[in-house]
Amino acid sequence: MTFQELASYFVEPLCIFDLKATSKRDALAEMVTTMCEHGGLKDRDIILEMLLNRESLGSTAIGKGVAFPHGRTLAARDLSVVFARSQAGVNFDAVDKEPTHLFFLIIAPPQDRDSIYLQALGKVVDLIKEDDTRNEILAAANFDEFCSIIGREAK
Amino acid sequence: MSDDQSKLLVALQDLDQMIREAEDKDKAAELKDLGFALDGVEELRKAREKITERITPQLLNRYQRVATSYGRTVVPVVGELCTGCFAKVPSSFRYEKDTVTTCENCGRMLYFT
Repeated sequence: MTFQELASYFVEPLCIFDLKATSKRDALAEMVTTMCEHGGLKDRDIILEMLLNRESLGSTAIGKGVAFPHGRTLAARDLSVVFARSQAGVNFDAVDKEPTHLFFLIIAPPQDRDSIYLQALGKVVDLIKEDDTRNEILAAANFDEFCSIIGREAK
Repeated sequence: MSDDQSKLLVALQDLDQMIREAEDKDKAAELKDLGFALDGVEELRKAREKITERITPQLLNRYQRVATSYGRTVVPVVGELCTGCFAKVPSSFRYEKDTVTTCENCGRMLYFT
């Protein structure tokens, strides 16, 4: 998967620039609600339960203020990505114990033979590893600015 | 989550896949390389036990029997087809709360997206 292909998964209705939640469960619920309302998915409860189970396997907040909640569920028809940003930060049980500000939620159907899901996850992790990129995304004023940061990596 | 049996079966299958992937050395290594910890398989087993307690013994037995034959027990219906065996699903079949619908051809349980 290229950065360009990854960028095509980010759509404005699935980007939350002002996440309201302050707890892990509420943050996941807010993102999943957005995914269901604007991404045409139903069975919010199934998706949320899967993500909560994934968190009990090990926190997806890998530090530096970023988390990548992810997993496979039958409730997903295709790969789906939600971006969310919390200025206040969320206690997401990060490995470095710091609050999490940026979230990239990725869900995929179980029948994903080419592992597009793992490729997408790897690309997002790769995208966000630079301090400058994280800081720019934190400061992005809107979806267009956010896309231009992602798009720059695609070039 | 509600006690809707068909939704519980989907949650159970999601969880079973997660456990399998966490125990798959190659997949786990790939996730660990990305920085993800996968230390809580025991927590997943506890969650699985809690879900199975809410599924009727008959359905659970059927789930396990079909899983043994096919790997995945619950499959989505796409374009009126069972995506397990690609047999046509009668249009009268649809999602109904507390009803688990089965493919007449292969016996897999159907999930209506």
